[in-house]
Amino acid sequence: MIALPILAAAGPLLGSLAGLVTARARLAGIATIVGALLSLLLAVATAVVVIPARPLASPGSFVYVDGLGAFFAITVAIVVFLASLGSFSYIATEQRRGELSGRRIRVYFVVFGLFATAMMGAVETANLGLLFILVEAATLASVVMVPIEGRTAGLEAGWKYVIISSLGITIALAGTLFIFYAATGLVGSPDQHLTWAYLVAHARSLSPVGVRLGFLLAVVGYGTKVGLAPMHTWLPDAHSEAPSPASAMLSGALLNVGMYAIIRFVAIANGRLGPAYASHVLLIFGFLSIAVGAFFMIHRRDFKRLFAYSSVEHMGIIAVGLGFGGILGLYGALLHTLNHSIGKAVLFLTGGTLVLAYGTRRTDRIGGALTSLPLTGGALLIGSLAIVGSPPFGLFLSEFVILRAGLAAAYPALVGLFLLLLVTVFVGFMHTTSRMAVGQPRAEVVSPYQGRLERWSAAAPLLLGLCGLLLLGVWIPGWLNSLLLHSVALIR
Amino acid sequence: MQHLSLTSPAGVFLSLDAVLILLTAFACLGSKLFDRYLTYYGLQSVLLAAAAATAAVVTGDNALWVLASLTLCLKGIAIPLAARRLLVSRLQLQRDAGIALGLSTSLILGAGLCAFAYLVIGPQNLAHGLISRSIIPLSTAVLLLGALMMVVRRHMVAQLIGWLIMENGVFLGAITLTASFPFIVEAGIFFDVIAGFLIMLAMTTGIAERISAASLAPPRREPS
Repeated sequence: MIALPILAAAGPLLGSLAGLVTARARLAGIATIVGALLSLLLAVATAVVVIPARPLASPGSFVYVDGLGAFFAITVAIVVFLASLGSFSYIATEQRRGELSGRRIRVYFVVFGLFATAMMGAVETANLGLLFILVEAATLASVVMVPIEGRTAGLEAGWKYVIISSLGITIALAGTLFIFYAATGLVGSPDQHLTWAYLVAHARSLSPVGVRLGFLLAVVGYGTKVGLAPMHTWLPDAHSEAPSPASAMLSGALLNVGMYAIIRFVAIANGRLGPAYASHVLLIFGFLSIAVGAFFMIHRRDFKRLFAYSSVEHMGIIAVGLGFGGILGLYGALLHTLNHSIGKAVLFLTGGTLVLAYGTRRTDRIGGALTSLPLTGGALLIGSLAIVGSPPFGLFLSEFVILRAGLAAAYPALVGLFLLLLVTVFVGFMHTTSRMAVGQPRAEVVSPYQGRLERWSAAAPLLLGLCGLLLLGVWIPGWLNSLLLHSVALIR
Repeated sequence: MQHLSLTSPAGVFLSLDAVLILLTAFACLGSKLFDRYLTYYGLQSVLLAAAAATAAVVTGDNALWVLASLTLCLKGIAIPLAARRLLVSRLQLQRDAGIALGLSTSLILGAGLCAFAYLVIGPQNLAHGLISRSIIPLSTAVLLLGALMMVVRRHMVAQLIGWLIMENGVFLGAITLTASFPFIVEAGIFFDVIAGFLIMLAMTTGIAERISAASLAPPRREPS
């Protein structure tokens, strides 16, 4: 049984191997898609095994999957699968146009697989030290993808990303150390002192000062990875300069992995300090992030930066959901991570096609996409409506649950502020993307893809993602519901 | 390991070593020559290796010997040498002009951060006479000084050194607090640091080459 999650994490390495062997984007792309699909299926299988039974654990808990880990593994695997489809058409087109050399294509696919594997591994371990190592490894792998298109701005964005993330993650390591330190008096082996399952179970005997310090450092540290304001400054640069499928992975998967790490620390802090402490910290960071995201979305002239600020905003919403707490708040926050991942992956992949077709990221040079590229333009419009939280899509439902949690926790003023900020986001986001979708079409724009295979692999993630969002808006499958409830019980 | 007495020979040596590590961090912060940054960082890593070796003697743990030798070879020798060859000599870096804050002001701020580290950790709350009482505030101070260096220096190489100093600070704490830290975790952290260094090295070289090319033909950047 323990082989299931290990194989799920190793699946994307198939693409890496193909990248080592061949520099042809189509071959390596297909291997990446197969690996990602395998990984997704195994992640779902793991969840099905885990829900009714006890967590899957290896000796020493280096591999450990419970409901929460299985849920996050599924969100990561979905994004990786969508991004692998997008990579195929995006990179193949760039290779045909001669914009990417064979060496860069190899690097792209090798790093894509490593990045995905590190993220899957990070959510499938109980060891806080290993969690840190894998998050850092995922960061370093993704850094390589940012400047791969060879622009000077890309290199600068990559530098900003690596230096701020490394700083943040080192702070998170210090936080991990303090938690470990807080556990020094406990019985059990040192391995166990780094295992959160053990820490949560023995939370009452941890030193409160150590837990408080460790939790704060971990939130700031992993919060840098999540893009919580004011540690979000690397995010818009990196997300806009990376190739679009890589942006989808960064935004849809890596931010969630950071949030997963924070949630594990929340569980430890709740066990020792009660829910109020973690809740206040998360509410402050959450509202700051929503506000920063909302106001920087107004009049963005680069649409990938617009999407990136929307990610800051959504991570803020998730933090607010965790902060409101209770079953509703946690349920809403977890559901929102899944919805946001799918929605943002769809938008960034749409953005990839737009960049290839129009040759620019500037919003004032893109117009009438709905006429020139009906499918992409439609996905842009519908995806934007979904991401700003319009019904009947999944994000509406999860934001509504979080709102309801705020009322249940008796924070009426904060709920009002939350609504106000969401309205700002709606106006700021739709103002820009609706003009890109409708309006005067540019005459010279045609689909950048050649051949049926490329067209399908570009269209499939958009259609699959939007159908998924619609489905999650009207119906939550029974197994997902029990997985979410199972996870909520682990955090409280 | 955290129960090691402060007055035992090993305890005295470790405390002294940790103070010296803090001083090398200050020396880096107070210098503005790229050569010096690397020298002080190398020295700091050698001192860190000595701390790891002391911990190895005390605990008799073979994994710690491996860690001490890795620290000595990679952080103490390989990283400073590689950085000197590939960055300082090749890019002809001498004086760090990208200093956002004067040296004396940064040093005073650094002293304030040390005091802050003691305030936050509150060693008076820790058990009396134990080694962790002296090491934890020191390692936190080294971490903060590294972060300060990343903030007040604008040059990429100086930021890189700042990050490496931060890592050393965390490592010092890890060795003392957790001599029995699972080896796989320590080795993984080590591997991440090396990989991070290599990536940053490549990016620094790449950007430096672009900038010198850009001075001939300035690239047109799209406004965002």
